[in-house]
Amino acid sequence: MQTLAFWVLFVAFVGAFAAQVATRVRLIAAAPGQFALDGFPGRLQRFVVDVVLQVRTIRERPIVGVAHAFVFWGFLAFGGYTLVECLSGLGIVDLTGTRWFWAYRIILIPFATAVLGGILLLVVRRAVVRPSSLGTTVSVESIVIALFIATLMVTFLLGFNLDEDTIAGQVNWWVHMAVILAFLALIPASKHLHLLLSPVTVFLKSLELGRVPNLDFEKEEVGLETVKDLPKKTVLDAFTCVECGRCEVNCPAFGAGKELNPKTLILQAQEALLAGDKDRKLGAVFSEKVLWQCTTCGACENQCPVGIEHTPMIIGARRGLVSNGEAPEYLGAMYNHLDRRKNIWGLGYDQRQKFVTSATLETFDPAKHDVLVWLGCAGAFEADFQKSLRSLFDILRAKRVRFGVLSKEQCTGDVAKRTGNEYMFQELAQANIEELKAAGPKKILTSCPHCVKTIGEDYRRFGYDVEVVHSSVFVAELLRGDAASTAAPESVTFHDPCYLGRYAGKVDEPRELLSKFGGDVREPERNRDNPFCCGAGGGLLFADKEEEPGSRISDVRFKQLTATGAETVVTACPFCSIMLKGAAQTSATSSPGSPGSNVQFVDLMTFVRDRHAIAKSPDHPIS
Amino acid sequence: MKIAVCLKQVPTRDWQPRLDDAKTWVREQDATFEMNEPDAYALEEGLRLKEQHGGEVVVCSAGPARVAQVLREALARGADRAIHVEGGPFAGAGSTDAFVVATALAEAMTSEQFDLVLTGLQSDDQGFGQTGVVLAEKLGLPHATIVMEVQATPPALRVKRELEGGWFQWVSMPLPAVLTIQSGINQLRYATLKGIMAAKKKEIRSVAPSAAPVVKITIASLYAPEKTKKTHLVEGAPAAAAKELVRLLREEARVI
Amino acid sequence: MILVVAEQRGGKLNRATWESIAAAQQLAAGQPVTVAVVGAGVASVAAELAAAQVQEVVTIDAPALDPYTPDGFTAALAQAIDELAPSTVILPHTYQTRDFAPKLAARLDRALVTDVTAIKGLRAEGSGLGVVFVRPMFQGKLTADVVPQGPAPHVITTQIGSFRADQVVRGSAAAPVRALTVTIDAASIRQKPEAPFQEARQAVDLSQAERIVSVGRGIKEQGKLPLAQQLADALHAELAASRPICDAGWLPMERQVGSSGQTVAPKLYLALGISGAIQHLVGMKGSQTIVAINKDPDAPIFEVAAYGIVGDLFDIVPAMIEALKSPTS
Repeated sequence: MQTLAFWVLFVAFVGAFAAQVATRVRLIAAAPGQFALDGFPGRLQRFVVDVVLQVRTIRERPIVGVAHAFVFWGFLAFGGYTLVECLSGLGIVDLTGTRWFWAYRIILIPFATAVLGGILLLVVRRAVVRPSSLGTTVSVESIVIALFIATLMVTFLLGFNLDEDTIAGQVNWWVHMAVILAFLALIPASKHLHLLLSPVTVFLKSLELGRVPNLDFEKEEVGLETVKDLPKKTVLDAFTCVECGRCEVNCPAFGAGKELNPKTLILQAQEALLAGDKDRKLGAVFSEKVLWQCTTCGACENQCPVGIEHTPMIIGARRGLVSNGEAPEYLGAMYNHLDRRKNIWGLGYDQRQKFVTSATLETFDPAKHDVLVWLGCAGAFEADFQKSLRSLFDILRAKRVRFGVLSKEQCTGDVAKRTGNEYMFQELAQANIEELKAAGPKKILTSCPHCVKTIGEDYRRFGYDVEVVHSSVFVAELLRGDAASTAAPESVTFHDPCYLGRYAGKVDEPRELLSKFGGDVREPERNRDNPFCCGAGGGLLFADKEEEPGSRISDVRFKQLTATGAETVVTACPFCSIMLKGAAQTSATSSPGSPGSNVQFVDLMTFVRDRHAIAKSPDHPIS
Repeated sequence: MKIAVCLKQVPTRDWQPRLDDAKTWVREQDATFEMNEPDAYALEEGLRLKEQHGGEVVVCSAGPARVAQVLREALARGADRAIHVEGGPFAGAGSTDAFVVATALAEAMTSEQFDLVLTGLQSDDQGFGQTGVVLAEKLGLPHATIVMEVQATPPALRVKRELEGGWFQWVSMPLPAVLTIQSGINQLRYATLKGIMAAKKKEIRSVAPSAAPVVKITIASLYAPEKTKKTHLVEGAPAAAAKELVRLLREEARVI
Repeated sequence: MILVVAEQRGGKLNRATWESIAAAQQLAAGQPVTVAVVGAGVASVAAELAAAQVQEVVTIDAPALDPYTPDGFTAALAQAIDELAPSTVILPHTYQTRDFAPKLAARLDRALVTDVTAIKGLRAEGSGLGVVFVRPMFQGKLTADVVPQGPAPHVITTQIGSFRADQVVRGSAAAPVRALTVTIDAASIRQKPEAPFQEARQAVDLSQAERIVSVGRGIKEQGKLPLAQQLADALHAELAASRPICDAGWLPMERQVGSSGQTVAPKLYLALGISGAIQHLVGMKGSQTIVAINKDPDAPIFEVAAYGIVGDLFDIVPAMIEALKSPTS
């Protein structure tokens, strides 16, 4: 009798579970594209570290992370227990009396205790503490699930005291099993689907941050236009989201009060997929305006504990808009500049030559030179950043590094790629690759982190593989053996460029250089591999014209940097420098006398050079 | 509306020109080429008018094979088809004068019976500013030049001309007509991926000019002007320097 | 005989005509020069022109020729040139001339050289044929010596400011004025022009301004802005600013020049206390003549300026305003 009842419950709830999971799996299967499986060892390692050992979840929010880890490990540990009880309840086989099962239960006791403690902490956090990242209203579903988990643990522990032949024991068992089955049925339609999906999603996540595949023009690919265009990984992502809000809390646009919210984007995609609106335009699903507020800093994707990749979705949707002529005006003008002048400013190419001549740069020759210096759009045309490059040249020459530059450089196409103009990007990339192949460098040195990512990673997909290194890393290595400076320390703060600190993971080398040359480094609240973006990326360098809510991202970051009390802000990216100096000017003009109105800016290369005994001497030899 | 836009392919605007051996033209082998900027604005205006009134935009250009590049660019931005006048005087490198171009274009365009012909007010290379107006005369159509705004209500046309010193004038005339368009009157659209893909399937019809051209202008010599582009820093005490600057702006630069 | 076609509007002579007369006199080298005036009711303009040392002033006066239309002027001048048979026709390179001169040349099937800055290779006979005309090409990056081909007349337009109006040789007595009869079929004039107007200054449109005075952080405080405004007024220029000034609210956003503001290309761009950061530069690099006044000799703005003064704008600007008050020499 009881067995029959259990069967009914079992079939009903498991059926409900299966049906809902099937809907989502069908949607994933129907989505275009394929899952990437390259770099298997790396993926495996990440899986073990981030999923099994829960390192990522613990690192960003230690207490919460540990509590969650307890719940997770407990969940895994209880797997066998649940299976045995179900088999017994279904009358298939009864292993509950065996010795090993009894031992198993004993081992589970500390797990159950840990889970109880963990879940209580999490419930209190969600219902009482109420951090903003979890939203303004308390999720009823979360409380219900928490109560379920607590009930499961309590009933399990009670099972030691209650004899299974007693009424109390029976009720206890039924409560336990009913809750498990109810839980099972609730999983697919809630964020708890991550229980099933997140290990898969984490495994399938690209090893490269912000990986956006090339469009294949032969196949007439134009980007993501409608819901049905969302690729497999994105659909999987949409169903994996646990709504933890780490992406939201770390997003600079969100932090500056703009409408963009990466968490909302993922949930909007989920909603649209479940609603079956296959032909609904993504510009409507996400609200087009919001898509253009992303700086592609990668914080969302980098922070996500369940393997969601926000970047390909955002850039993919941008492509869909751009391919149809719906890019915002300021980007359209920039695309015309790239088209006609091959640089983002629309400036004439002879201006680059003026710099090359005045800095006495040689054309790269693999027989003569160790390294090719890539100037980039800023290096070629931006007078301020050229000062930084001159400092770099002084350092290289002082250390007798032989270097040259390309005679013809076009923009790497970074901005075109990140804003969704894939055609422009590929045109520029192909042209540059041709020039680079002809020049034949073994190592490319550049001071622009965007160029590092684009040439180093994006060009690799066209088959061009060469070592690209940022000047901070190269110079740190170069000067490692040199004596430290004896100058009096100066308080500095370093703004990690997103594309250097987060994308390339290079955070120690700039600090090494600063400390070595007299910098007393003060860290701002967001730093190292999780900096708060300066606001230039993703085409936003050009965007100020638009009416936007909230403040400028660069103003927010400027306040964070000046809050350190440092006299000098050191940058290592031309665009960070432009944005932050602009923020400083705004601050100085609008509110003179405010903290930070006297803050100095210096590029890392200039900082080092001005304190390096040989490099700063005007008599050092020019190679 | 059946709209024609006449385009010229010119050496890139910011290219520092190098002279050929004869010193009567530039070294085209060293140059990269692009669509003449005022023509780009004319094209944009044509595309907007098509969006407003329906019809088609046909782009026309006279020149050697490389001219197909600007025709493709125009097709990628939304023009429907192209006419490439090539061969004869347009075969090789070198400059061609407005009369030769306008005559050849007129010949290729007459049978099409366009409602409106647009072109840029002058070219970025030679800059004579004649082709559009001569074309109007050859086609027997009324025209207006340096147009800032176009109001087309077929069969009527009303355009805003730019005059000296911040003055403007509206002029009406019947369609069909020829207009030369001023730069900067609209926001140029960029070539979208879909546009570029579609352009591959659009027609570029090749036409050879019939009559032997009568050249009206020859360039005897081309050379760099004596003044270089260095910044003239005015030295001296503030009052004297200010006075000298004003004098230079009046007499040398002639901007006051 | 060299024919100069004068320009007038509403009975007021366009001063650029004198420059064309100077050019004609140079080209003619003693041979006759005739001046023609086209329009309706041009007698007083003709009388004014008669002061030059010319053979005669002819009026082509007909009601259909006012207001100016390219159809009307082409028809009238074609007839006049047919009758007068000059070897060269010279006009000032004005907006109006640019509108009809190519049509006239095409009608006559004769060569037209526009925007001439100098004349070379004059032959003694002074007919003007076989002469070389100098004009800019490639936006002033190169200069061309151009030779018109084919039979006379050749049509030339002179660049405004290239020939000196003050070098016109005046006649000892007023030249004779006579009327030239032309037949204009008013119905054949297809253009219907309305009265010219100046844009109402409701909104600031820097993109249309011919002259701009732009202020940057060098102006230091909002209270000092009137000085820049005075300079702008003295130059009949629009006031503009770089981003920090507009961000601080000292000037409205429509006056911001730069990649996040307006893109401008005036004849004159005067940058006061602006460093020339790239985001500002891309908004004004198309200006024809850039003048920079800045304390910092290394400011990037000097890279693109044609003229500059390294110094304190608070000393220089008042002196400039004074200098602008006194008329040209």
